[in-house]
Amino acid sequence: MRNLQGGDFPEIKEQEGEWHEQGDAERREVLSMKWWAYAVVLATCSMVVAPVLGQIPEDTLIIGMNHDPFIDFAPERVYELEGMFILEQVYDQLVNFTGGEDAFKEVKPGLAESWEVSEDGLTWTFHIRRGVKFHSGNEVNADAVVFSFQRALDRHQSPIWIMEQFVPEKDMIQRVDEYTVAITTKEPIGEMLFSAAFGYQGIGCVLDPQQIQEHATSDDPYAAEWVAEHDAGSGPFKIDEWVKRDRIVLTAYEDYWQGAPQLRRIIIKDLPEPTAQKLALERGDIDVAWNLLPEMIVELRDQDGIRVIQSNSSFGYHYLAMNMGFEAFSHIEVRQAIRWALDYTAITDGIMAGSAVKNQSIVPVGMFSHLDLSYAQNLDKARELMAKAGYANGFDVELISRTDQPFTDIAAQIQQDLKQININVKITTMVWAEVLRVFRARTHQLVLARGSLDYADPSGAATMMAHCRVLGDDAEVRQMAWRCMYCPSGLVDWVEEAASEQDARRREVLYKAIQALVLEEGPFVMLHNTLKQVAARECVAGLEIPASWTYTELLSVSKAE
Amino acid sequence: MESLCLSMVTYVVRRVFWLLFVVFGVMTLVFFISRVIPADPVAAMLGGHAPPELIEEMRDEWGLNRPILEQYLAYVWQLLQGNFGVSMATGRHVLQDLVEYFPATFELATMGAAISVVLGVILGVLSAVRRGRLLDHAARIAALTGISMPVFWLALLMMLLFYYVLGWLPGGGRLPYYMDPPSRITGLILLDSLIAGRIDMFAIAFKHFAMPALTLSFFGIAAISRVTRASMLDVLGEDYIRTARSKGLAERRVVLGHALKNAMLPIVTISGIVYGRLLEGGVIVETIFAWPGLGRYATNAFLALDFAAVVGSTMMIALFYSLVNLAVDILYVFINPRVRYD
Repeated sequence: MRNLQGGDFPEIKEQEGEWHEQGDAERREVLSMKWWAYAVVLATCSMVVAPVLGQIPEDTLIIGMNHDPFIDFAPERVYELEGMFILEQVYDQLVNFTGGEDAFKEVKPGLAESWEVSEDGLTWTFHIRRGVKFHSGNEVNADAVVFSFQRALDRHQSPIWIMEQFVPEKDMIQRVDEYTVAITTKEPIGEMLFSAAFGYQGIGCVLDPQQIQEHATSDDPYAAEWVAEHDAGSGPFKIDEWVKRDRIVLTAYEDYWQGAPQLRRIIIKDLPEPTAQKLALERGDIDVAWNLLPEMIVELRDQDGIRVIQSNSSFGYHYLAMNMGFEAFSHIEVRQAIRWALDYTAITDGIMAGSAVKNQSIVPVGMFSHLDLSYAQNLDKARELMAKAGYANGFDVELISRTDQPFTDIAAQIQQDLKQININVKITTMVWAEVLRVFRARTHQLVLARGSLDYADPSGAATMMAHCRVLGDDAEVRQMAWRCMYCPSGLVDWVEEAASEQDARRREVLYKAIQALVLEEGPFVMLHNTLKQVAARECVAGLEIPASWTYTELLSVSKAE
Repeated sequence: MESLCLSMVTYVVRRVFWLLFVVFGVMTLVFFISRVIPADPVAAMLGGHAPPELIEEMRDEWGLNRPILEQYLAYVWQLLQGNFGVSMATGRHVLQDLVEYFPATFELATMGAAISVVLGVILGVLSAVRRGRLLDHAARIAALTGISMPVFWLALLMMLLFYYVLGWLPGGGRLPYYMDPPSRITGLILLDSLIAGRIDMFAIAFKHFAMPALTLSFFGIAAISRVTRASMLDVLGEDYIRTARSKGLAERRVVLGHALKNAMLPIVTISGIVYGRLLEGGVIVETIFAWPGLGRYATNAFLALDFAAVVGSTMMIALFYSLVNLAVDILYVFINPRVRYD
């Protein structure tokens, strides 16, 4: 037996060596797992190398818009702005609001080329234009008009109250002859008001009766399900496709009575995030970005190749409401003092950064009978008025505001301004639903809120802000005036008279008087009308946004590369 | 083997029963909570100026003026008949809406989870094997970033980089505007396009998935890689690993074949949690990348207090979360034969 030594077992040594080598090799192999990782990443990247996205064709307009508000396209149900915008392109109404800045100053003919009202002011007779065809090829005539309105009343969806408040029964809508329709109202109303209701995209749309009947079933006699996703209209565009929360595709209707559209196709692409819209616009993947934030608009104004398009006004406004049940606000001088004390420039030009237009009247800029009542901050006058009311030393008050912008900024500005006349404002923020609840319960002192008119007539504004006869819960109208305990009994008569006045000039005078009086003695401080701002590539021509952006017409839009 | 199958079957049946119980419980809770909130959904829906009579009329129509217990029983009764109610906002049956929007979220969540698992495990294993080295530290920093970075910020950064600056990936949606979606069989675009034989559509849809899935996966990669690393280190310190090595087994086999397999349990658990979380549908990612999924639908429903849609969405999420948990538990048995359910 000899002494065993390492060197005596060459096989083992060999193996050891191999092991070491193997160990290194295996460790290298584990490292090679890294290569697996790289491979995965590379594979992913190779999927990423894209064929260059082609240029958008010149006859196609792509709009990036948030699809969340879209529900469907049933004209009798549509109540949301985005839906109304689509209906505007796809359907026609009896009357039109068109003409840029002056669109809402007077009514233009639509499917009705002319109309008149009876002596007693109750019956409106419309003469339907001849030769207008629906997308199906069927003719638009009195039967179609009568059918459409009666169907809307029967279907009885949320927005029907706009029509029902004047025309509650189906048989008040009658066919006189093939191209004449007579509509009788409950009480006499002004032309503008009537038109606003019947020109409403939605319940005012004229549908093709034959198409409805073709798609009606025993369970669904009005083809509600079909019309929700298709169109039975006569407008400049047809609904080609709707992929929910993805895209809406409209194609041109060549035989449109006002002439064929310049665009062949409009694609409304779902891009709910404003940043995504901005990036897509800058890259040229969309032509128009519809939901940009005011800061983005400011940035894009100076950018080459992009143009900002905005409305001159809107039906929406921000305002401050004072509860006249609060001791200090029962004095007219205090209410006036507050109106004189605010720095409107800081609010409208500063905080709103160009996304609002100063308007201190209850009727929006650009609307029929709007009265320009501009005044500016005047702290001396404000202090004088406060002294006159016996409040030279001011008082404490609570301001309720929404939690989101720009309300918080505006509230802070108001607080700062009112401090100058010794009013100490404590700001309380709440979500909108809560603010509304407090406002309706009349437990507020000051509320900063946003409001809007439902349709294109000043009667809405007058009713909401000046109609209140009694303070109890039995009041006929319980809108802003009632909520602020503002009961201008003399004014209420004018509000009612103006709604039914049929002489347009006299009506205008009445509304101007109402506006002036509400400004003088009312509990509101109107700040501004918010503007609708969009950004488009420079090649987009003919896009105009009217005061109510749902009336935007894409008929005359074109792209010039 | 037979007894294993039998005990598995009884286990699964028992779990399914509990699952239904849990979903029912969630439904009840959400039902009562949503109705206790003081805001009025009908008033909010009709707008600030709607005449009060109209609001009352609609409330009656929707049965909102009935006592809450009566509303609950009515809802349960119609639920048992397969009717999830009608959405106040869309006017459609909630089940129809859920079937419309859930597949998109499911597809995205699955992609995100798959990426999380693959990259997370790879990163975790590498960190464990190269413990203390540069890769380990880098992975830890990356994981911390992944967990702490707000999703909103991450998503926008990715969009800025990969879409705006580099132009490699599309800026949103499931398909480009010029492509019509394939005929809807499952609602999953990748699957439906394969079924329709459209490889080109599959490839493009895959690209559309890249950014949202990656964004969603960051959190998952972070979580899974840390758990993998810890679990691997645990296992790598065990005796049998030393034995395997000394037996002369290739290092790769030791790490992947023995260590990883034994480290699987916690990894599978965390993967299940990550997947369940993604199934809720990230409303932020869905909004930023224009994804038509459950996140957006449910969020809009919550904001509008659309009761039927709120309860329906929550039930759906609870159901799938429970199913994922069940799947994970069943997977345990296959990974570790010693796990038994009695």
